[in-house]
Parts: sequence; structure tokens; C-alpha cells
Amino acid sequence: MDMLSALAQGFAVAITPTNLALALFGCFAGTLIGALPGLGPVNGVAILIPLAFSLGLEPTSALIMLSCIYYGCMYGGRISSIMLNIPGDEPAIMTTLDGYPMARAGKASEALAISAVASFIGATFATIGLTLFAPLLAKAAIYFGPADYFALYVMAFATIGGITSVNPFKTLLAAFIGLMIASVGLDPATGTARYTAGSFHLYDGFDPIVAIVGLFAISEVLVYLERVHQGQEKMVPLGRALPRFKDMMAGGWANLRGSVIGFVCGILPGAGASLGAFMSYIAEQRWSAKDGRFGEGDPRGIAAPEAGNNAASGGALIPMLTLGVPGSGTTAVMLALLISLNIQPGPLLFDRQPDLVWGLIAALYIANIALLIMNIPMIGLFTRMLSMPQWVLMPFVVMVSFLGVYSISHSTFDLFVMVGFGVMGYILRMLGISLVPVILGLLLGADMENNLRRALSISNGDFQILFSSPIALTLYAITATMLGLAFLLAFRSRRRARATAG
Amino acid sequence: MSKLSKLFGAAVLWTSLSVAGATAAECIAPADPGGGWDFTCRTIGKMLFDQKLVDAPVQVTNMPGGVGAVAYAKVMSSRADDAELMVATSTVGVTQIAQGKYPADTSVMRWVAMLGTDVGVIVVPKDSDFKTLDDLVAALKEDPSALAVAGSSGAGGWDHIRLLMLAQAAGLSGDEYKQIRWVQFDGGGPAVTQMIGGQVQAVSTDLGEIAGFVESGDIRILAALSDERIPAFPDSPTAKEQGLDVTGYNWRGFYTGGEVSDEGYNAWVERLQKLYDTDDWKETAKGNGLVPVWRGGAEFEAYVKDQSEQMRKISQEIGVIK
Amino acid sequence: MTDRIVGLFLLAISIWYGVTAGDYEASFGDPLGPAAFPIMLSVPAAILSLTMIIRPDEEPAWVTGKPLLLQVGAVSLLLAYAGFLEVLGFPLATFIAVALLGRILRSSWPKSIASAAIMSAFLFLAFDKLLGLPLPLLPEFVS
Repeated sequence: MDMLSALAQGFAVAITPTNLALALFGCFAGTLIGALPGLGPVNGVAILIPLAFSLGLEPTSALIMLSCIYYGCMYGGRISSIMLNIPGDEPAIMTTLDGYPMARAGKASEALAISAVASFIGATFATIGLTLFAPLLAKAAIYFGPADYFALYVMAFATIGGITSVNPFKTLLAAFIGLMIASVGLDPATGTARYTAGSFHLYDGFDPIVAIVGLFAISEVLVYLERVHQGQEKMVPLGRALPRFKDMMAGGWANLRGSVIGFVCGILPGAGASLGAFMSYIAEQRWSAKDGRFGEGDPRGIAAPEAGNNAASGGALIPMLTLGVPGSGTTAVMLALLISLNIQPGPLLFDRQPDLVWGLIAALYIANIALLIMNIPMIGLFTRMLSMPQWVLMPFVVMVSFLGVYSISHSTFDLFVMVGFGVMGYILRMLGISLVPVILGLLLGADMENNLRRALSISNGDFQILFSSPIALTLYAITATMLGLAFLLAFRSRRRARATAG
Repeated sequence: MSKLSKLFGAAVLWTSLSVAGATAAECIAPADPGGGWDFTCRTIGKMLFDQKLVDAPVQVTNMPGGVGAVAYAKVMSSRADDAELMVATSTVGVTQIAQGKYPADTSVMRWVAMLGTDVGVIVVPKDSDFKTLDDLVAALKEDPSALAVAGSSGAGGWDHIRLLMLAQAAGLSGDEYKQIRWVQFDGGGPAVTQMIGGQVQAVSTDLGEIAGFVESGDIRILAALSDERIPAFPDSPTAKEQGLDVTGYNWRGFYTGGEVSDEGYNAWVERLQKLYDTDDWKETAKGNGLVPVWRGGAEFEAYVKDQSEQMRKISQEIGVIK
Repeated sequence: MTDRIVGLFLLAISIWYGVTAGDYEASFGDPLGPAAFPIMLSVPAAILSLTMIIRPDEEPAWVTGKPLLLQVGAVSLLLAYAGFLEVLGFPLATFIAVALLGRILRSSWPKSIASAAIMSAFLFLAFDKLLGLPLPLLPEFVS
């Protein structure tokens, strides 16, 4: 009962005209920022912090606006994944796998609708989880140690070979390329410079945003130049402007399964939304293997990762609000904002600033509904994007990508690297090597290594620590089951193929 | 040719439109948005404008890379005489310089001022067997590898060095204190939560980020590495009181290019001093777990030079650099 | 064939990556050290590269002639843009880049120039003025 009255109090805070207006503005701005490649939630929130300052906002209002931008970005990231095959931000990479094929088949509006619904379900699920269990879950997350994180990443990479239907060896190789790229830079544990060729510019390694934009956006330009000349570039059929209700629900139970998995990943500090989206996709692929057409535009291949990444971003708010520990890059920026507004984050935030916390939670419910309502009519707008001439669309996407990177780092070096990634991305695509695992390797590789090394620092070099916690052992068991299932399925389908051939 | 002239015309028109309002003060935060240096730039920049010490809002530019080395190289090579520019830094930056991880030593910049400092602390979980710093030191003396200690910096970083300085003061030899297990996390908050979760036994880091856990009673401060007790936690003893003469501050301040004129340099010192004298700053500093401390101009120059030299010696002694 | 060449290249990279890692040592730090993880990566990466050499997929259809030239042109243009962004200032550099990119993407001169003018102005205003992310405005030789 206590909680309900607290939540009611929160709604009273959130529903003041100023806060409501800020929430709506945040949703809208967030969707746009999320949709633009190169500008993700981290940058979006960081960029708009000065705005919160210059408006002289109350801490609660500022936090409401920025959280709505954060949620909006998560909704928006999928748009360019689906429409352009270019992830709008890091967690949206998985959505390219089925979203883009669906759009090319003339079902762009359906894909956008499915993902909007999935985002809504994922984010709402996470917000409910946040309301009901935040302090409890935060306590559980504390017992997740470095060895357990390492087991989680082992699980991710052990199952990565299956994410595309093409040559699994190449998919795995792509992941290793990403992991190798991730180790460039100063090693955080000892400060050793690795693979930097003595350049300060590489001390922080390769920024995932730079790699994503290069691999996807710039290689897309090169692919287009090739297609258009060979006359293969047919006009994509536009399809209907607004989807039917039935199509919107095509994600089905995948929405809920993705939400649960994403939420769990989100609560763990550091794992974040990209892992949430990835694990949701992998699990859905296994779950629906019987009749799945994953990689060719399966609606569940859109619903699961979108529900997953939105649920994860909601989940990431839990360690931030209850412990003052960032669950993701974006929540790190939001924490910095809290601090600069003279609010001490940490375990006492719920007790000391109930208006702020519950006002924020209430605002998230409102934001979710606003985003769903806002995103359905916007589908028509975005599908029309495809009919824009390529000589406008492509330079625009490329320039925004360049700007998104340059305006944050002020390094032209990053721009050169981006073009380099573009050429690499084109060659990999020509060879049928998926780009998604490269990015996953890059995003998760450093954390995987750091946690392995932390675990061994704690045990003073004894490898037994990796297998001594029940959490880690459970994760390894799940990994083994998933791998076994994959081999079994592959064996069966081969036997069936042989039987039909015979 | 007509196309070219069109192009040129457009460019000229465009530039003439927005030439005005160019020179505003700029603060480079040599890190990504959200970090400590970013915070220094944004907070101080905002307050300078609020207090009308600058005419236009201070522009904050993020220039991450190499723990500040990229910005250092950039200012050195192309903005050494830019009097409108200041760059945020801290003890962490000076540690990097002292360990030769920047392209040059402290002499190539003009060090403007520091306005406050975070204080290093050694903390343990509330129900830890270590009740005093002596308990912890005694355990380390018996078996240096008995404990896993965590912090936000890597081995050889400021959090780690502070711990080793304590061990050194307690009489452990170099071979002994090298065996202390050190675990790096991405910040003080994660280090403390992992400690509460039982992964490590103690944490050495700045107080600011983890003060919330001390207030909530989840962790205890065994020793504050400051000359006096920390105002917000008067019950927590300093290391000095407990017989180990070690202090470990992490100050926040600024430098500017090495070729900036005396006039430009003094203008910055003066502005920051005026800001420091306001109650507003004292309030903000306190809210962020910082202790307001002023060192400016020549005094700060000398202080940085001194600290860098001292840090180099310590790093050498404990074997981080050769 | 391409698979074999790229496989060989990646094999070389993996070996180089592993061998280089062997040199990384910290006098100080954690038990695993900075070298172990890269070496752990290099072995499977090398084996996977070998599978590309042993069992190559079908040859991809590489482009030749004019589209290849256009691709090279686009890449050089983007590299030049990166190099001249700070020299020419954002508006001018972007104007030139978008106009030429439009041409490469088979639009006419007037259309490309129009879209370039609008885009450079819009992006500068949106980022520098609206979002407050400072961009270089004037060419270096002017300011």
C-alpha cells in the first residue's frame, strides 16, 4: 500500500503542466536523436544537459526530461535500423537483422509498428519491474561478481554463431574480429598501451559509435553505388502507410520473452541494453526455431530485440536509482547530472528524495504511452523517407554521422577511422560476413576481459574462481543447453534435408 | 566557372552571416560527457556565467583520449597562446604526466588554479572485522596477499598508489606491498557495490562518489587521507591520527596554454578566485563531496610541479615506472 | 578465391595479434596481465581464418569499371572531407562534400548544390546553435 501511495504522489509530481510538457518534448527529441545514426542516447542526454541547466529546471523536472529523452532514443534507434539498415544507436544493431529485410519486402510500416509495440511492452514491463522490485533487485545485482559477468559474456559469444543463417564460422570469426578490435587502447587494469602504434588517439580504443557508423552507414553508400550501376536498385515498394492492428501484434509472445531477458540484462550494472537486445534475439531464435524465418524478416526477430533493449534500458535505471551505480553509458551521464544538481545518488536516494524518484517513475509510465501514441502516426512519415531521392538521403545520413562523432570528440582522427571502418564493412559484406557480431564483439569485449581479469585478481590467479559461484555455474549450464540444442537442430534439419533429397 | 563562383558566393554569404559573437571563453573537458572532468568544466563554466565573471556562457568542448593526453597534445601544438581557453584537470592528470604518459611534462602549460579537492578514503563493509586502520595494516603485514582491495584506477593509478603509500608508511617493503591484490573497477560506485557483495575486502578511492554509501551505513571509513577530518564525516579518523602520515587528495583545477600572456593568465586566475570566494561555490563543492581549497597563480604552478615530482618518485619507488 | 585471400590476410593478422600481445607486460598489476586475453583470442581467430582458406564460399561478384571508380571516388571524398573539415571550417567543407557526393550519387549539379547549401546551413545551425556543440565556422586562412 505504501508503494501505491508513493506512486500516486509521483503522478502528482509528474502531471504538473511543466513536467508533462518536458516529458513530451523529451520523448519527441529522444526519438529523433535515437533515429539519427551517430547520435545515440549517451550523446543525446549529454548534449541536452546544458539545456536543462540553461532552462533553470528543478532537479526533478530535469531528470524527467532526460529520462524521457533516454526512453525516446531507445524507441528511435530502431527506425534507421529498419529503414536504412543503419543502427541508430548501439542497442538497435540486432533490429537490422530482421527489420531491414522486412522493409525491403515492402513491409516497412509493419516492421515499424511491430517494433513500436515491442518497445512499448519492453519499456512498460521494465517500468513495472522498477516500481515493484527496485530495491530487491538491486540487492540481488550486488551479488553478481566478476566471475559471473565473465560467464554471462561466455554465454553471449558461445551462442553468437547462430545469429545469422549463413556460414556460422564466418559469423564467429566476425565476433573475434570485434573482440580483437576491442582490445586496442590502454589496458584499464595496468595502463599498458596495446596495439596503439604509439598514437594517443588510440589510447581510448575505438569508439563503438565510430565503428557502427563506419561499418553500416558508409558501407551502405558503397553498396548502393554498386547496385545502382548494375540496375539492381529497384524502388522499394512502399506498402501501406499505416499498419493494421493485426500486423502490429505480429510479435506475439516474443514481446514478453524479450522483455524478461532484456530486463535481467539491464539490471546488471555494465551489461546494458546491447547485451539485452542480443540475448533476447538469440533466445527467441532458439525458442521459435521450428517455424522461424530469422534473418529474412521474421516479426519475432524484430519484436524480441526491441522489447529486449527497451526493457534493458528501464532495468538499467534500477542500479542507478537504488545504488548510484550506472547500469549503462547513458545512466552514467544521468548520474553525473544528478550530482551536478547537488543530489547525492546512492542507497539513500529513495528515502531522501521520494518526490524525485517516484515522480521520475510516474513520468516513465507517461512517456511510454506518449511514445507509443507518437510513434504510430510517425510511421507514415518515416516510410516516406524511403521515397526520398538517394542523393539527398545518403549525404544527409553520412553528414549527420560524421557530425555526431565529431561534435562529441572533436577529433578528425575519428573521422578517418570511420571511413576505414566503412571500407572494411563493405568488404566483409561482400564476403557474406555479418557486421552485427563485429559490433557485439567490440561492445562487449573489453568488459569480458576486464571481468575475467578482475576475477583472477580477486583469486590471486586461481582459475577455480570462475567455476565456484552458483550463478556462474547456472549460466554455463544454460550455455551448454543452448549449444546442445543448436547442434541437435542442425543435425535434424540436415537429416531431413537428406531424406527429402533421397 | 559559374558553378564555382556560385559556390564561392554562397560560402561568402554564409560566413558573413555568422561572424559575430565568435570569441567566448572555452573549457575543454578532456573526457567523455559525464565524467569528473566534464563535470568540472560544466559546473565551473555555468557558475562563471551566473556570477557574471564572463560575458557569454562558457563553451564546453569534450576532447576524450588517453586520460587527457589527447587534449594536452592538442593544446600544446595548436592552441598554446589561446587566452580564452582553459582545460580541466586533476591529480589524476598530474599522475599521468609524472608517469610519462603525456606527450610532455608540466612545464609546457600554465597552471591556473585549483578550487577544491576530493579526499581519498579507505573503506570497508559495515560488518567487516577491520575496525581500525591498524587492523587492516596488521592483516597486510601478516600476509600482504591476504586481502583483495579495489578502486577505480588501474594498478599504478592514483587510487592504487594511495593504498601503497599507506602500506609503505606502515613499514611494508616493496616486495611485500606489491603482493597486495588490486582489483580495478570502472568507478568508485561499482567498486563499493562489489565490496558489499563480498568480492573484495576493502576499497581505496575518492570519497565524493561513494559518500552516499557511508551515509547509509553500508560501509565504514577506516581512514581519511587528509590533514584534518572531513567536515561531512567528523567521526571518521584520518590516517595521520592513526599514526600513518599519508595524505591523498584529488584536486580539481585548470591549466591553460604555455604561451598565454601574463595578462590572459592573470585574468583567469582572478576570475576563478572571485568564483571561489562566493558562497555559491562552497555550497556546490560541498554537495559534490569536495572540500573547497584554493591555490592559484604562481602558488599553484609550484604546487603542481612539486606534486608531479613527488608522484614520479613514488611511482619509481613502488615500481610502476622504471 | 577472395575468401582464400581474405582468410590468409586474417590469419596473418591473428598471428601478428597474438605475437604482438606476447610483448605486453606490466611490471605491476593483475595476475593475468595484459597479454593473456589477446593471446586467448588469437588462437581461435587463426583457426577460424583457416576454415575460410580451406572451405571458401562462392566468389562474390566484385564490381569493376565505372562503379568501382565511383566507390573509390566516394571513399576519397570522405577522407578528404575528414582532412579538410578543420582547415576549411564546417560550413564550407560540408557544402563541397555534399555537393560532390550528390554528383557521385548521380544527381545534377544544380540539385546537388542546392541540397549542399541547405544541408550545410541546416546542420551547422542545428548542431552549433541549437544543440550548443561547437563546430569550426571559418576556414583557417580567414580566422
